[in-house]
Amino acid sequence: MTADTANAPRQPHEGHDIPGDSGVWFFIIADMCAFAVFFLVFMAGRAQAPQVYETSRTMLDLRFGLANTLILLTSGAFMAQAAREAQKAQWQRARLMMIATLVTGLPFGVSKAMEWQAKLAHGVGLTTNEFFTYYFIFTGVHFLHFVIGIVVLLVLIGMAEKPGVAEDKRLRWIESGGAYWHMVDLLWIVLFAMLYLMRAA
Amino acid sequence: MMTVTQETTIPDTRYWRFCAWMGPLFVAVFYVCWGLLGHNFPPFPPETPAAEVAGWFRENANGVRLGMVIAMTFAPAYGVWGYALAKVLERSMGVGSDNLIVQLARLGAAWTTITILVPTSFWLTAAFRPETLPDWMIEMLYDMAWLLIDLAYAVTSVQLFALGIGFLADKRSKPLIPKWLAWYGIWVGFMFVLECVMPYFRNGAFARSGILNFWIEFIIWMAWVPVLTIYAIKATGRIERGE
Repeated sequence: MTADTANAPRQPHEGHDIPGDSGVWFFIIADMCAFAVFFLVFMAGRAQAPQVYETSRTMLDLRFGLANTLILLTSGAFMAQAAREAQKAQWQRARLMMIATLVTGLPFGVSKAMEWQAKLAHGVGLTTNEFFTYYFIFTGVHFLHFVIGIVVLLVLIGMAEKPGVAEDKRLRWIESGGAYWHMVDLLWIVLFAMLYLMRAA
Repeated sequence: MMTVTQETTIPDTRYWRFCAWMGPLFVAVFYVCWGLLGHNFPPFPPETPAAEVAGWFRENANGVRLGMVIAMTFAPAYGVWGYALAKVLERSMGVGSDNLIVQLARLGAAWTTITILVPTSFWLTAAFRPETLPDWMIEMLYDMAWLLIDLAYAVTSVQLFALGIGFLADKRSKPLIPKWLAWYGIWVGFMFVLECVMPYFRNGAFARSGILNFWIEFIIWMAWVPVLTIYAIKATGRIERGE
């Protein structure tokens, strides 16, 4: 992209009018389908034993759930801004926004570790009951997605201003990374509502 | 540093299609022989009493023997398929056969063959002389085989990730293997991580017979093989035309 076209609206990639890489979107949709199955399994289990689920739900610390939601929403807002800057070919600003995404997102890992630690310290673990099985596994799988997201962010921060990387490639991968980061964000919001907020009985 | 770019010569593709068809053949044979004859599709849930599992093995010993012998005979078909895909991968990436990603794709397929052969021999052992084995021992062999075949997931993930990453490196405007399929393989590799919690559960979605750790995990892998084969065979035609 030349200086003249730097502020022009971005062109669709590969003939598709979707941000980022179409293959990454396939991955995201497949992953969200897997989480949809997780949610259905959870709801089916909850319908069988509403009292166990409700008692267990009240044992979760809402403050951690809320803090994690705010952390990821803030981080997601910076990522959205990074993608907008990349679309305007403002690579330095895009890089700074991604650093802000990383810095504001990292506390999610700390908060999650503290929450799990508190649960384990109280003798609540993976096999305590069905609710906590789902709680640890779903939040654990989500955490794995978060870690992958952090690695992706580090790669994108390294790539954002690299002269050797073509600008359309930079934009495609920043948008793809952004879409992935928003998926992490979105999945957490659903997990938060399902595990912490929804009354079962 | 020397980098190999897009190959321009037409390779000898004589056996590529034959070897590629070994993948769907493996899936079909494995489903019938290991899955249906061996009572593994779906498996006995872990909470099934040992006497029930042992009783079934005693009654159906000949069927299990036949199933496992054929499953073991056809296990290398998975490796043969993996090698055929690695040839397509070389052309897709425009690299030689000594490329690290190509080698990992081959290695993952070859290792997967071993992780199919070994547990299959445990099920066969349970059916070899079930009349003299105590119930708990047959149950143990059945459990041991399932723990190995499920927890060896990472070996197959090596193949899934290598093929996925390699196919994504295709510089063609229309890649030999579509991007969505490359990403699908990577996603399957990640999904396999759920098997890590399988040893903790004797019932429910994460048990070896559960909706997530059996039905979804096995079906997404078994579907990947024939779909990728069809695209690999199409890609072979394109490679022969010098695309």
